[in-house]
Amino acid sequence: MSSSTSNSDRSGGESRRVYRKTFLAITLGMAAAMGIIRLITHLNDVGGDTIMSRIQEAWAALPDIVAEEDNVVMVFGSSMTEAGFSPRQFDRQMKEQGIAVKSFNFGFGGVNPYFQDYLARRIREAFEAKDRRLSLAVLEFVPFQATKARYAGAVSAIDSFVTILASPEEMWDIALQDPERGALMFNIRYLRDNVSAEIITDHFGGVLRPDRPRSSLPEDEAMSERRRELGDQLNAAFEEDYPDYAGEDWSYGWQGGGTIPEERSASTLEILPQYYETLRTPRRMENDKLNRISCCDIEELEFEEELVAAYIRIVKVFQQFSDHVEVVMLPRHTEWIRYSPEAAARLAAVLDRIRDETGVTIRDDQLLPGVTPEMFRDTTHLARYFGDVFYTSHLVDVYAPLLRSVAR
Amino acid sequence: MIFNTPLFYLFFLFFVFFYGFVFLRQKPKIYFLLVSSLIFYGAWNYRFIPLLVGSAVADYFIAQAIERATTISSKKRFLGLSVAINLGILGLFKYADFVLSSAADLLSFLGAEVDLPTLALVLPVGISFYTFQSMSYTIDVYRGEMAARKGLVEFTAALSFFPQLVAGPILRAKQILPQMHDIPVPTWDGAKHGLLLVTTGVLKKTTADLLAIPAAKVFEADGPVSLMETWTGVLAFAGQIYGDFSGYTDMAIGLALLLGFQIPLNFRVPYFATSPVDFWRRWHISLSSWLRDYLYFSLGGNRNKRRFRNVMVTMLLGGLWHGAAWTFVLWGAFHGALITASHTLGSWSALARIHQSESRWIKLGQWLLTFYLVLIGWVLFRATSMESAWAVLVNMHSFAGGLPVPGVKASTILLLTLATVGLIHVMDYYVLKSAHKLEKRTWLLAILLIIGQALCLFIGKPSNEFIYFQF
Repeated sequence: MSSSTSNSDRSGGESRRVYRKTFLAITLGMAAAMGIIRLITHLNDVGGDTIMSRIQEAWAALPDIVAEEDNVVMVFGSSMTEAGFSPRQFDRQMKEQGIAVKSFNFGFGGVNPYFQDYLARRIREAFEAKDRRLSLAVLEFVPFQATKARYAGAVSAIDSFVTILASPEEMWDIALQDPERGALMFNIRYLRDNVSAEIITDHFGGVLRPDRPRSSLPEDEAMSERRRELGDQLNAAFEEDYPDYAGEDWSYGWQGGGTIPEERSASTLEILPQYYETLRTPRRMENDKLNRISCCDIEELEFEEELVAAYIRIVKVFQQFSDHVEVVMLPRHTEWIRYSPEAAARLAAVLDRIRDETGVTIRDDQLLPGVTPEMFRDTTHLARYFGDVFYTSHLVDVYAPLLRSVAR
Repeated sequence: MIFNTPLFYLFFLFFVFFYGFVFLRQKPKIYFLLVSSLIFYGAWNYRFIPLLVGSAVADYFIAQAIERATTISSKKRFLGLSVAINLGILGLFKYADFVLSSAADLLSFLGAEVDLPTLALVLPVGISFYTFQSMSYTIDVYRGEMAARKGLVEFTAALSFFPQLVAGPILRAKQILPQMHDIPVPTWDGAKHGLLLVTTGVLKKTTADLLAIPAAKVFEADGPVSLMETWTGVLAFAGQIYGDFSGYTDMAIGLALLLGFQIPLNFRVPYFATSPVDFWRRWHISLSSWLRDYLYFSLGGNRNKRRFRNVMVTMLLGGLWHGAAWTFVLWGAFHGALITASHTLGSWSALARIHQSESRWIKLGQWLLTFYLVLIGWVLFRATSMESAWAVLVNMHSFAGGLPVPGVKASTILLLTLATVGLIHVMDYYVLKSAHKLEKRTWLLAILLIIGQALCLFIGKPSNEFIYFQF
């Protein structure tokens, strides 16, 4: 027998049979295992979809936004923007001044600049595809969204969110730069329905996570009961006022914002301040603050380089398809959230860097005169019908001259 | 490229397709195997492919020179050259900075402040494994235990065989070269066992990644750590290192089996050991037997009066093999001392009687003591500095770190960690003893494998790196 004849040559048929079985066992076994995963994640509603649903609905609306006849204004940011900017009120007040614009609320909770960067690119693509420009982009900068703590908390979601938000070209870029990560990302997107193993572990492993610090103040039971009562009344009123509401997180009809006072009954508007008061009990506020400290380092602000860099990229992306871009910082509840001197210095340095690298104007409304504690619903978010009304009016005052000059 | 990633699955499927169905004859098969192994290695860092190939080429020709040499002294010279090349590569990439920084520390201690430069070279993955493997070949040829091979491609393919290239087991030339010369035919029984090992391996690796979290909390803690949390962290690391390394080895053996290659066992449920000597018969068997055959025996083994010195030297170098840090040296010395103490105490007749006792309670005591000592060793192994090792050891034996935060979580995590480490071992014990019974029931095996793989796909990994890649 020749030395170039192997065992395999001598038993070619048997060898191929074994390889065939092995090949099938691996592919079918993995397919079955993947099937189990998809079934379990589906049954347990695991994934980024809960946070992403508002983003995905906004994303789906982009073709309609781009096709708007009026000048388009976009306020892009976090859940603080979502709560604090009322697009329809903005448009109404602009119209009263003879300025026709259509504004949209692109504020999303549970994200950070790393994810928002991908979304900004998708928005740019939609505008550039139709050769359209944003008249004004108002980009919220949330200091505590760009901290190391915030980033650490989002690590498990990165792969899932990126596979949802990245374009095919960006996926290929990842694969070319790092084939191992690329293969993983394609696997998550196309075989795992955007649900990474990390996000599953995060979902089910929560019970083993250490408890977050909680307020030691006693619960005001009477206030809790009152909150439930008022909440029920508000829900009933909402269903009565908006029978056609389909439960979407981002409604095109509402331009991504919420309902507005003009649409609500007098009795509802009477209940609302009482309801917000029940939300702002010392215990709830302290818990909210402790939660923000724990998740986001809200008072010390140790910034994460990756997130600051991502924010700068966001500004640059908007600058590519917008006539005017400004950065804003929304009002801060100074009774509850106080920066340490070091945090203030770090924030100033980051703002300087954003300004230097993008040339953008930064409007710091954190200490905006006229904002009262009653305008907040918790330690960070403005309360709808109160805080958002005030802040939206402020934005109208600020941007009316600019938008008048570019009105079509 | 790491085994438990989608990229490797893709790579392996392509590999099996071409290796099993396209390249059917010996020569194309061996060339394809070599190229695939180099692609596998190059996926990590292609710049180090020449180092791997160069190492193989050098030892291939040196072995032939040793065989051709007619005098012992010239054979020795050629062997010296092989050892110098392999240890030189290892020394340059792995130990140069350690030596330089240690020299600087020593000079500083002696009062001379010298700023020695460091090389900061990237450590090529698997370098400790393939240099040892390659050296064993020239040593075996020198000792006349095997003939120098004809066929550079076969030799290079053996040295770079991708299932075991980056984290072992360390194969002896006589184990792998004959298989490369006459490529084995896989059997379905072998393949089934291979699939079982791959799945248990991935499962162990996934578990190890989870255990890494409580381990890191203890070994990288800034503040005080309680007694219970420290034990959790140390136990978790014991599980992590075993799951990580033996998981990789299982996958390596399993993947090789799918191709028909036989790779020897590297672990035999080591935490069931009842003495330090027993532990080293079960832990990283390919390294401990390599050190025994090529270092310990070369020093004289246990035939001369310097037996204990030989044990200590072997274990010190074994410790240093794991990493260029004094903590690894200390770990090696600790195990060397344990083995020496075992032998010494074992020679006392009273203790020898206890040691040979069949009493379950005595066995349990021996097991507990051995496991405790192994855990102490892992503290030295995992700690990033001597100070950190000392702090963990103190916390293991005192309430210096205070009590854990009230609540069920600390104790739940401790119990979960214990259960996980135990379950890995029970699974391994079962695979070792009874896998053949399971493999007869193909349908049951298939269900278990699918569940095992699903479990791995279910669990997210904080890190995908294998600990032993760095060694």
